[in-house]
Amino acid sequence: MLVLTRKVNEEIKIGSDITIKILSIADNHIKIGINAPKDIQIYRNEVFEKVKESTLEASRASTQKAADLLKYKIHKVE
Amino acid sequence: MKINTYQFGEVEFTEDKIINFKNGLFGFEELKNYLFIKPDDSFFYWLNSIENPGIAFPLFGVRAIEDQFPQEENFEAFAIVTLNSNPLNITLNLKAPVYINQNDKLGIQKIVDTDKYPVHYNLFSE
Repeated sequence: MLVLTRKVNEEIKIGSDITIKILSIADNHIKIGINAPKDIQIYRNEVFEKVKESTLEASRASTQKAADLLKYKIHKVE
Repeated sequence: MKINTYQFGEVEFTEDKIINFKNGLFGFEELKNYLFIKPDDSFFYWLNSIENPGIAFPLFGVRAIEDQFPQEENFEAFAIVTLNSNPLNITLNLKAPVYINQNDKLGIQKIVDTDKYPVHYNLFSE
């Protein structure tokens, strides 16, 4: 892993079109600003891992049979 | 072309039915091409991998349960369904919707960065 030390307001460039800026540091929290092309997807890693796990689970469950779905109400987002 | 699927047995299709996911799905980045199947008699749509026909995902059109859901222009939003023999335990992944453009045959999966949409959303209630 490449390790760089930066101060508040300093930036890091990844390639020619991604810029990461350290905005503020307080206690254990670091606020980071990221400028990247629109088609680059940026996620918090823990969310990404959760989503990945759910997709794997959905793939494993895809052979399950559920009967009588019409007897149930569809739950709408409130 | 033909693939052997678990849900529908042997399915024959033409190339124009293939939806291309440039980045794959999360956890399945190496699988890029899926057959999009809309059975007449089912609640769910299906994405069946062409590279690995044993991999399939049921999908549910998000519009039916949420009209505020984040849109992508020219794409329709679907949630991956985790099936369960008990319908009350069937969940939708609203956190990482799959967007499909059926005209251009393109698919993309995104993460919606809000707490409003969970990874496990119960689709049915009694």
